[in-house]
Amino acid sequence: MPDSAPAPRPDFIRVENFSFHYGGSQALFNIDMAIPERRVTALIGPSGCGKSTLLRNMNRMNDLIDGVRHEGDIRLNGASLYDPSVEVISLRKRVGMVFQKYNPFAKSIYENVVFSLRVAGRSRKKELDETVERSLKAAALWDEVKDRLHESAFGLSGGQQQRLCIARAIANQPEILLMDEPCAALDPLATLKIEQLITKLSETYTIVIVTHNMEQATRCSHRTAFLYMGRLIEYGETVQIFEKPSHPETEAYITGRFS
Amino acid sequence: MPDSTPTPDPRRFEVSRATLWFDRLMGWLIRFGGIGVIVAVFGIFYFVGKEVLPLFREANVEPAGEVSGEAAPRVLGMDEWAELPFFYAGGNEVVFSNVATGERSVLPVPGLDEVEITAVSHDPVKQRIALGTADGRIGSFIVNYERKFEDGREPWVAPSITAEPWFALENGSGPVTALGYGDSGSGRVIVAKRGEGPSSTVSVLRLAMKKGLIGKGKLTLAGETDITGQLDSEARIVRASQNGAMVLVATRSGEIDYFLASSDGVTKRQSFAPFENTTPARMDFLFGGVSIIVIAPDGRQEQWSLFRREGEGERLFGMTKQFPTLPQGDLHFAASQRNRSFLTTAGRFLTIRHSTSGVVRWEGEADIDPAAVALDAKGEHFLVAAADGTARKFSIHDPHPEAGWRAFFGKVWYEGGPGPVHQWQSTGGSDDFEPKLSMMPLIFGSLKGTAYALLFSIPVALLAAVFSAAFLPHSVKRVVKPAMEIMSSLPSVVLGFLAGLWLAPILETRVPSVILMIAAVPLSALLLGYIWCRLPIVFRNRFEGGSEWMIVLPFLALAGWLGWALGPVIESWLFVYKDPSTGREIADFRLWWPQATGIPFEQRNSLVLGFMMGFAVIPVIFTIAEDSLSNVPKPLTAAAAALGANRWQVVWTIMLPVAAAGIFSALMIGFGRAVGETMIMVMATGNTPITEWNLFSGMRTLSANIAVELPEAPVGSTHYRALFLGAVVLFAMTFVMNTIAELLRQRLRERNKIV
Repeated sequence: MPDSAPAPRPDFIRVENFSFHYGGSQALFNIDMAIPERRVTALIGPSGCGKSTLLRNMNRMNDLIDGVRHEGDIRLNGASLYDPSVEVISLRKRVGMVFQKYNPFAKSIYENVVFSLRVAGRSRKKELDETVERSLKAAALWDEVKDRLHESAFGLSGGQQQRLCIARAIANQPEILLMDEPCAALDPLATLKIEQLITKLSETYTIVIVTHNMEQATRCSHRTAFLYMGRLIEYGETVQIFEKPSHPETEAYITGRFS
Repeated sequence: MPDSTPTPDPRRFEVSRATLWFDRLMGWLIRFGGIGVIVAVFGIFYFVGKEVLPLFREANVEPAGEVSGEAAPRVLGMDEWAELPFFYAGGNEVVFSNVATGERSVLPVPGLDEVEITAVSHDPVKQRIALGTADGRIGSFIVNYERKFEDGREPWVAPSITAEPWFALENGSGPVTALGYGDSGSGRVIVAKRGEGPSSTVSVLRLAMKKGLIGKGKLTLAGETDITGQLDSEARIVRASQNGAMVLVATRSGEIDYFLASSDGVTKRQSFAPFENTTPARMDFLFGGVSIIVIAPDGRQEQWSLFRREGEGERLFGMTKQFPTLPQGDLHFAASQRNRSFLTTAGRFLTIRHSTSGVVRWEGEADIDPAAVALDAKGEHFLVAAADGTARKFSIHDPHPEAGWRAFFGKVWYEGGPGPVHQWQSTGGSDDFEPKLSMMPLIFGSLKGTAYALLFSIPVALLAAVFSAAFLPHSVKRVVKPAMEIMSSLPSVVLGFLAGLWLAPILETRVPSVILMIAAVPLSALLLGYIWCRLPIVFRNRFEGGSEWMIVLPFLALAGWLGWALGPVIESWLFVYKDPSTGREIADFRLWWPQATGIPFEQRNSLVLGFMMGFAVIPVIFTIAEDSLSNVPKPLTAAAAALGANRWQVVWTIMLPVAAAGIFSALMIGFGRAVGETMIMVMATGNTPITEWNLFSGMRTLSANIAVELPEAPVGSTHYRALFLGAVVLFAMTFVMNTIAELLRQRLRERNKIV
């Protein structure tokens, strides 16, 4: 665990001249960016700007779609994601992901959390129990569900389900946590809880979050990247992006002139 | 905008008339269609019920008139239309009494003047009355009825009497005291007892019909055999079967001796004693001549039939059925000439029973003491006559005596069989055939056919659905799925034709190859999978996810071909048949299988069926299962993949539980398709209604049975209605299965519900 690790590496994830195509249409154009370790990096931009595509390439989820193609490279801690020797399954174990719509499995809370351990073939009861407690505590859900771990996950509220999904994603202790608009389907109170959680989790994990919500980006991210029409327009410290954007498009977007 | 301020149209909120009309019209059309469907479904139920319900009705017997004939009748007979019964009291005339008008007419019997009749027997089929005289002569006459038609008059029945030649017994002395008469057409057998007490004798007289070139043949004596010495005591009842092949003698000691009469003579075959040491009070042949009904003096009534016991070469009598005990009283008996019903009277108690399923069809009382009974040729009326000559006519409405719960679903001991069985054989070569109408072999056949069809289809269809939904790239799936769906539209008659005429002869000779292929292809797939996992990741990553099959396919084809090619090698090595007579060894699975297992090998078998039904069932299961697997919400599979599950784990832990209800429906629809499938079953299964699970034998399903037999079943007959009953059973089976399946599906769905 990188708890006691030295200073965070500034280029833990390097996106190098990365372009991406869905069939005939290009979604990303020559993206270059370095994402620092144990920080929250927000990707913002209008709908269809490619921010989710970029996020989903960081654990190669886009491989599941037919007819996709990429140029350039993404490096994780120096190693290319697209190296022929990369096993996608083990890559995804290093990079957890939380989706826009909370999507727990039709299983108990307990089984949802330990899913990644089960598919990895780890089934020692003690280890599973510890993982459940640690993950749910880290996702600030433990106190709410500790008495009903073996009940269906569908009995939880929306915010609780999303926190369960976060617990599930961090159960296997990944290095990176990708969040694709994690609060889009939640009410403001639940959103607040998730945001507090993100801040807390960034002490341990490198987090990349896609969001539509400017306030959210300002509230909980260290760095912000603004994408527009598949291009990285501006990338820097969050404070700088929101207070002194250097590009007119960035300014237009964050001031709400288009979305 | 100042220039064009439109004045608001006050009708702008109204719906246009056309829209309203159209809405109303469609509403009524849909209502009409919906109600029409419901009416049609109930109409089908009504029609099928109307055809099936009469099978389970009891016999209805009603009084149908009274008539007065001659006193002390020894023989009572009736014409086919039950209009003009005759009474014969043993004299030289026959009295006819019209039931409708009460009119009596008397016809003299030629050659009976100054003859003392001491024994009489009656064959109601030919209406022959055989006579034995005090001086040991045997004669006979026939009562003929002719339907007359004349303009302006109701049709009427005109009787006449034909006398037949006399024959004198040589053996024994004294009057003829008991008589049995059988006529096969080409010869006759008469069994006659002379005298009374220990000195009485029994002779069998054989008459041969010498055919002339023109006209009737001449009856000549072929031989007389004294069988007295072969009886253990005095004869009491003598009977000859209607076909003249069998002679039965019941003796005072209670034994019945069974003789076979042929042109070579008379040989004793068996002695049996139905009621230990009691002489039967009555012994009569049933329709068909292979069963007798014996009645003990205490009223016990039993059926004894000829059948071949295990390990015996000859058919001998054995008890097959016991009927409810009759009350005490004077016993009379008449067997139907249409089916295995028979009328018994015991005092005033009347009963109609049926021998096939051993049931009582009807019981009633007469208001006179019967001295003689008669059943008409159609089995629609019977007559009981008292000693004073008054008679009562009854009509019988019992169109389906051989039907009933026992006959359809219970084990029945049919004539000629060694024990009670479930058997379906609705028609036979002769009129006296006993229909065997058990639904059980057909239900079994349907279940067996369905089971083998599903055994072949389910694994293939489900694995294919999983492969297509979770592994195959979209570009390939776009081709594969419609192709599979087109497969389901192949007409089943074409499939059946292919199965029966093309596939069956090929598979017949290549069974070891087929078995080898079935084993080799999946095993090599597993092996290839194992090898694939051991290959370096750099090599594996060169192939896009889902396209590995392109590498695997040639190897699978090779495994299939190897299985096919190595079959004969395996056959010559493992499946060697040794001819027991010549000692020659032949490598042939078809011969080896019956020798090794003792169960037959047929060309039209369940293996062929399983293959061909696959074409009908696989697309159905595949399509629905694939849809429900593909419809598993993408966020779930994506989440599982993002958590490091491999494709198989995504399928197993996420997709299958969520799609379980849909897959279950797919299986049920596949079941429904298989259980109702007709043409493939008719053409590929051989249609033998046997009940064994043997892979290499055929079956007959309920659906195929209906298709095969309905064109030959007379409308309204028991056979016809039994086929409808088969349809009801088929419906009930699928209904029960579908209901259970629906309940299970609801529970599955509840458990894996997605919010």
